[in-house]
Amino acid sequence: MAVTTVLTPSTAEELAGMLREATASGRRVDVVGGGTRSRAGRPGPPGDVEIRTGGLRRIVAHEPQDLTLTVEAGLPVTEAVALTAGAGQDWPQAEVRDGSTIGGVLATGASGRRRLRSGAVRDSVLQIVIATGDGRLVTAGGRTVKGVSGFDIPRLAVGSRGTLGVITQVTLKLWPLPEARGWFGAGGGLEERLALARAAVTGAGRPTAVILTPGRIDVELAGPPDDVVPPPGMEPSGDPPAPVGTGVVEVGVPPPRLGDLSVLLEDEGFAYEARFGVGTCLVAVDDAAGVARVRSWAVGLGGHAGVLDGPDGLREDPWGPPPPGLALMRRLRDAFDPAGILNGRLVPWA
Amino acid sequence: MSTLRDPFERLLDPARVIDHALERRLYSRDGSIAQGDCGLVVLPETTAEVAACVRLAGELGLAVVPRGSGTGLCGGAVPLEGAIVLSVARMGAILEIDPEVPCARVQPGVLNLDLTTAVRHLGLHYAPDPSSQQACSIGGNVATNAGGPHCLASGVTAQHVLGMEIVLADGEVLRLGGTAPDPPGYDLRGFVVGGEGTLGVVTEVTVRLTRDPAQVRTMLLDFPTVRAAGEAVGGIIGGGVIPAAMEMMDQRMTIAVEAFVHADLPVDAAAMLLVEVDGTPAEVAAHVAVVEEVGARTGARRVRVARDEAERALFWKARKSAFGAVARVAPNYYLHDCVVPRTRLIEVLERIEAIAAEFDLVIMNVFHAGDGNLHPLIAFDRRDAEQVERVHAAGTAIIEACVAVGGVLSGEHGIGLEKRDFMPLTFSAVDLDAQARARDAFDPEGRMNPAKVLPLGSRCGELVLDAGSLPPGTWL
Ligand SMILES: Cc1cc2nc3c(=O)[nH]c(=O)nc-3n(C[C@H](O)[C@H](O)[C@@H](O)COP(=O)(O)OP(=O)(O)OC[C@H]3O[C@@H](n4cnc5c(N)ncnc54)[C@H](O)[C@@H]3O)c2cc1C
Ligand SMILES: Cc1cc2nc3c(=O)[nH]c(=O)nc-3n(C[C@H](O)[C@H](O)[C@H](O)COP(=O)(O)OP(=O)(O)OC[C@H]3O[C@@H](n4cnc5c(N)ncnc54)[C@H](O)[C@@H]3O)c2cc1C
Repeated sequence: MAVTTVLTPSTAEELAGMLREATASGRRVDVVGGGTRSRAGRPGPPGDVEIRTGGLRRIVAHEPQDLTLTVEAGLPVTEAVALTAGAGQDWPQAEVRDGSTIGGVLATGASGRRRLRSGAVRDSVLQIVIATGDGRLVTAGGRTVKGVSGFDIPRLAVGSRGTLGVITQVTLKLWPLPEARGWFGAGGGLEERLALARAAVTGAGRPTAVILTPGRIDVELAGPPDDVVPPPGMEPSGDPPAPVGTGVVEVGVPPPRLGDLSVLLEDEGFAYEARFGVGTCLVAVDDAAGVARVRSWAVGLGGHAGVLDGPDGLREDPWGPPPPGLALMRRLRDAFDPAGILNGRLVPWA
Repeated sequence: MSTLRDPFERLLDPARVIDHALERRLYSRDGSIAQGDCGLVVLPETTAEVAACVRLAGELGLAVVPRGSGTGLCGGAVPLEGAIVLSVARMGAILEIDPEVPCARVQPGVLNLDLTTAVRHLGLHYAPDPSSQQACSIGGNVATNAGGPHCLASGVTAQHVLGMEIVLADGEVLRLGGTAPDPPGYDLRGFVVGGEGTLGVVTEVTVRLTRDPAQVRTMLLDFPTVRAAGEAVGGIIGGGVIPAAMEMMDQRMTIAVEAFVHADLPVDAAAMLLVEVDGTPAEVAAHVAVVEEVGARTGARRVRVARDEAERALFWKARKSAFGAVARVAPNYYLHDCVVPRTRLIEVLERIEAIAAEFDLVIMNVFHAGDGNLHPLIAFDRRDAEQVERVHAAGTAIIEACVAVGGVLSGEHGIGLEKRDFMPLTFSAVDLDAQARARDAFDPEGRMNPAKVLPLGSRCGELVLDAGSLPPGTWL
C-alpha cells in the first residue's frame, strides 16, 4: 500500500518547488491547511504527497491606517482576527473557527454568519499569491482597497478548494470593529419565528446576521450602543448553536425560499442553521439518504446542496448535479494545474 | 461596396447592420482618446442573435468587440483593425424585478440610472453609481467592474452581480450564478466581471438591489490646503467610520464645476470633501459627530450639511458633472485612475502637483478619496502635438508615482488599450502569463476584444509583435 509523504514547506518558493517536482513526476498532491475540513469531496485514496501549509504563517504587513492585512495562508484565522481586533478592526466576512487557516477559509469560500451585512468572504480579498499546480508563483489583484488591474484570479482561487493552486499569501480588506455587537433571540412556533426573521432582514436595523435554528430565531445587531438593543419580541441571547450530526450539508437557495426549506427541515426533524437574507443553510445529516433528501428539497427550491463534512458513506455524490460551464472549468484547471495533480477528489465534475 | 454586411444581413434586420463610414467612425471610439478602426456594427436584439453574430464572425475570422454605451475611459470598446463592433444598445429591457431577494434581471443595455429609477418606488436602489450613470450600461459596468462614489461602503460592481448570461467566443450560451449563493465549481460569474469584453458578450445580468438606508446625511467640508483635506480623509477612516461616500475635489475642479452647476461651492478653498453617511439615526448621528470632530481638528473652515434632498442632489450633481465641466478649461482631457494606499494620498497628490509644474500642464483632481482612487485629469488640446507629448510623459510619471507607493493601475475604469502596456509595472511575466491562460480558457482563439488588457507578449513564449498596428491616439 502506498504511503503518503507529508511535506511542510516554510516558504512559498519551497512550496512551489514541491509542486513543480510533483507535476514532473505525476504524483498526486493533497493540500492541507488546518485540516479541519479533511472529510470532504469524493471518497478515494489519499494523494501521494500531502502538503501542509502550517509553515507559512508570517504576517507580511498589517497597515491599520489602510485597513489592510497581508499574511501567509497557513496562519490560523483566530490569530489574524486577534491581531486585527487589537487595532480596532475586523474581518467580518470570514467563517472563524478554531484550527482553520486563512488559506483553508479562502479555498473553501467559507463565509461567516455576518455575510448578510458584510458580504461574502470572496469580496474581502484584495490580492492573492498562489502556487499553481505546476509550481508557478502567481500574484494577482493589488494591495489597495480597490482595483481592477487585470483578470480576477483572486475570485477564481477563492472557493476553488485548492484545485487550481495553493494559496500562499493574501491581502485582506478589513473593516472597523463596530462599537457594540450583540445577539438577540426568541423561541416560539415556526410561523412566528419566520415572521420575525423576515422582519429583521427587511428592517431598518440592518442586522449582521439573522439565524433560524430548530425552535429559535437569533439576530445579531452591531453599531452604536443605542442600536444594539432587543428588537420587539426578542431578548438578549448568544451565538446560536451550529447543527451537529454525522455529517454537514451546505445548501444555497434563493434567499426568499429559505423559509420554505426551513419548514421542510423542521417538519422532518433535521438540525439546521438557516442564514436569512443570504440563502445558505447548514443541515446536519446522518446518512446518504439524508443527503439525498436535503438535496432534492434544495434543487426543488432552485438551489443546490453539497456535503461540507462527513464520512465516506455520505460523500458518494458530494455536490449533486454539475453547474453550467463545466468545459470552461476544465480548461481553467488545465491552465493552472496542467498535470491535474492537485486535490483530485475535490474537483466537482470528475 | 462592402460585402462584409451581406452575411450579417441574413442574421439581422438590415437596419441593424451598419457599415456607413461615418457611423463606423463613431463606433471606432469610446470615452477615451483612442481612435480605432471599425469594420462593421451589428445591433442584435436577442441572445440568439448575439450568438449567431459571434459565431458568424468566428467563421469569417473576424474579431468581435462588445459595446455598451461607449463611455469607457480606457479604450476598452475601441475596435482595432476592422473588428466587428457588437453593440448591445438594443437590448435594454428590465426583465424582472424581485423585491423579495431583492434583485433585478436586466438586459445588458439597460442604463445604470434607469435601473435605480425603476426600483425607487420600492425603497430600493442599485448601489454601484458611476458618475456616468445616466449614460453607461449595466453590461458595460459588469465588463469593467465599475465603481462609483457609493462603492466605498457598499462595494464595486462585482459584489452586486448575482448571475449572468454570457455568449462565449464560440457562440455557446451559458448562465452563470444566480440568486442561490455559492453554486459548486469555480466562480465563473465573478471572473467574468471586469473581463472588459474579452471573455464573452454579457447578454443578461441579475444584479442585487439594495434597500434604501433609513437616514442619509451629506456634508461638504472645505479646506485651506489639500494636505488638510487628505488628513481629514485619514482621520475619518481612522476614527472608525467608513462613510457611504467620501469624494475630494481640488480648487481648480471646484471652480470649473461651480461655473457649471451653481451649487454655491467653496471656490476659494484649496480642496473640498463631499462626505455622505447613512444608516440608522443613531449610526448617522455617531458618524456625523466623527466627521465634524475630524473636520474641526484638521482645519476645515466649514462643514455644510445638505439642508434637504434637493440640496443633497445638487451636491451630487456637482460631483458627477466634474468631468464634463473640464470642457470649460480645455477641449480634451486625459485621465488616470490609479489607486494608492489611503495613507499615501497626500504624498501622491503633492507629487502630482509637482508633475503638473514640471511638464507645464493643468492637472485637476476629483476623486474617490475614501478608497484612495485618484482621478488626476490632465486638461489639454489634442491639436497641439507638442503639448500632447508632454501630456503623455506626465501621465507616465503619474502612474509611476502611484505604483512606487504600492498603488495599482486602475481602480474602476479598467485597463483596455490605454493602460495595457503599463501592466508589467505591477505584474511579473509569470503573473501576466497566468492571466493570459485564464483568458484563453474562455476564448482559445482570441476572438473577443483581442489586444485588450494584456500587453502583447504576455503569454510565455509568445512572439512580441510590433506595436505599429495600434491606432493613433493610443498611449504606449
Ligand atoms: C466542525 C467544523 C464544521 C464546519 N462547518 C462549517 C460550516 O458549517 N460552514 C462553513 O462554511 N464552514 C464550515 N467549516 C469550515 C471551515 O471553517 C472552513 O472550511 C475552513 O476554515 C477550513 O480551514 P482549514 O485550514 O482547516 O482547511 P482544511 O480543512 O485544511 O482544508 C479545507 C480545504 O481547503 C484546501 N486548502 C487548505 N489550505 C489551502 C491553501 N492554502 N491553498 C489552497 N487550498 C487550501 C484543502 O485542500 C481543503 O480542500 C467547518 C469546520 C469545522 C471544523
Ligand atoms: C463622465 C464620465 C464619468 C465616469 N465615471 C465613472 C465612475 O465614477 N466609475 C466608473 O467605474 N467608471 C466611470 N466612467 C467610465 C465608464 O462610464 C464605465 O467604465 C462604464 O462601466 C462603461 O460602460 P459602457 O456601457 O459605456 O461600456 P463601454 O464603454 O461600451 O464598454 C466598456 C468595456 O466593456 C465591454 N462591454 C460593454 N458591454 C459589454 C457586454 N454587454 N458584454 C461584454 N462586454 C461588454 C467593452 O468591450 C469595453 O471593454 C466614467 C466615464 C465618463 C465618460
